[in-house]
Amino acid sequence: MSKISPVTGHYVTVDVDGLEYKVFYLENGQGQPLVCQHTAGAHNHQWRGLLEDPEITASYRVIAYDLPRHGKSDPPENTQWWTEEYQLSADHFANFIVALVDALELVDPIFMGSSFGGNIALQLAHRFPERFDAVIPVEGADYSPGFYLDWWQHPHANAAQVCGSGTWDLMAPQSPEADRWKTWFYYTQGSEAFKGDLYFYSVDHDLRGKLGEIQTNKCAVVLMTGEYDYLTTPEDGARTASQIPGAEFIEMKAIGHFPMSENYPVFKGYLVQALDLIRTKTSVRA
Amino acid sequence: MTVATRAPSVDAWVQSFTEANNQDPEIRAHGKYFTCSYLLDMEAHTFVVRVVSGTIAQISVDPGPIEVPYQFAIRASAHTWSEFGKPVPAPMYHGIWAATFQRDMKLEGDVLVLMQNLRCLTRQIELLRSTGAPV
Repeated sequence: MSKISPVTGHYVTVDVDGLEYKVFYLENGQGQPLVCQHTAGAHNHQWRGLLEDPEITASYRVIAYDLPRHGKSDPPENTQWWTEEYQLSADHFANFIVALVDALELVDPIFMGSSFGGNIALQLAHRFPERFDAVIPVEGADYSPGFYLDWWQHPHANAAQVCGSGTWDLMAPQSPEADRWKTWFYYTQGSEAFKGDLYFYSVDHDLRGKLGEIQTNKCAVVLMTGEYDYLTTPEDGARTASQIPGAEFIEMKAIGHFPMSENYPVFKGYLVQALDLIRTKTSVRA
Repeated sequence: MTVATRAPSVDAWVQSFTEANNQDPEIRAHGKYFTCSYLLDMEAHTFVVRVVSGTIAQISVDPGPIEVPYQFAIRASAHTWSEFGKPVPAPMYHGIWAATFQRDMKLEGDVLVLMQNLRCLTRQIELLRSTGAPV
């Protein structure tokens, strides 16, 4: 058997809101596009288990990109970004994902993201329901205050270790140690983006009072939350789902805030349930 | 199902926690600059843990007022700490961030020192899963 993974990497140029990005993405599989957003301050290796899963990639084209300023996606090509404080807005985050979908010429994609990726999934369903077949907000909620902290980028502390160990408790003790440490390792690499990402997560993202406007007949919504997530708890996920007409909620046991990265086999069981729910809902729509 | 476990005595815990820390491969590998003093307030007992270069040099048990200085404090109820002392803690008792955000834990004092030592401190607190908590 070849030791070369079927996962391939590419760069695509994305123009959005006057900014030009060279975006790196990993992909594998054939079928309906399943576009995957990593968590704040991380990169697309969080989706490594899904990208190499032969069962899922038999039916889905899994695309996991690095958001600009993360992993191999550089900050904007055409601005002096180093002269400004990075604060990710809901407008720009949502516009970027639609521009990426356009650049890749994707038809009826499913969007899945975790944490701030779960929150932007809800924003996409709210703003662009005609552009996505479905969204799977993982560890997402209508509102998630409290994590826009100076500690992530404090010059008197080791920011890499604060980001890695400050998010450690978001994972479940049952998750394999090696996978938790990989996730920790990704976090040590993203400390210059983490706090700015959390501006979106904890400050600019606020769908309270707007969830009822989401049209699940156009864009299905299946939320999933792990029981060890202390930031967006299962109660937050259930509350959010209950206010979206037609949305589904799945509580994931014995897993935390980075489910796809900390314990892919457990996450996969729930993901298959979510994809089945989406297939049922969209077949009714057709 | 919860399994009833006896909390270790204070003396036994001081010894086992010190040994667990001082023999821990992760702390030995990364603790060169892990030097600080902090208060563990477990309601029924308080402890000042003094760490020097990753080694627990001393644990002061129930120190008197202004007797033993420390840089930051981790405070929670005896119940919370007893949950920390289980081999697989229940959700929200699985770390100081989780219990601070969702339960009754408080991080007080010079939190910058806590953040400067966060990597090894996180591991050190997790050693309670093997030693149990003395409350």
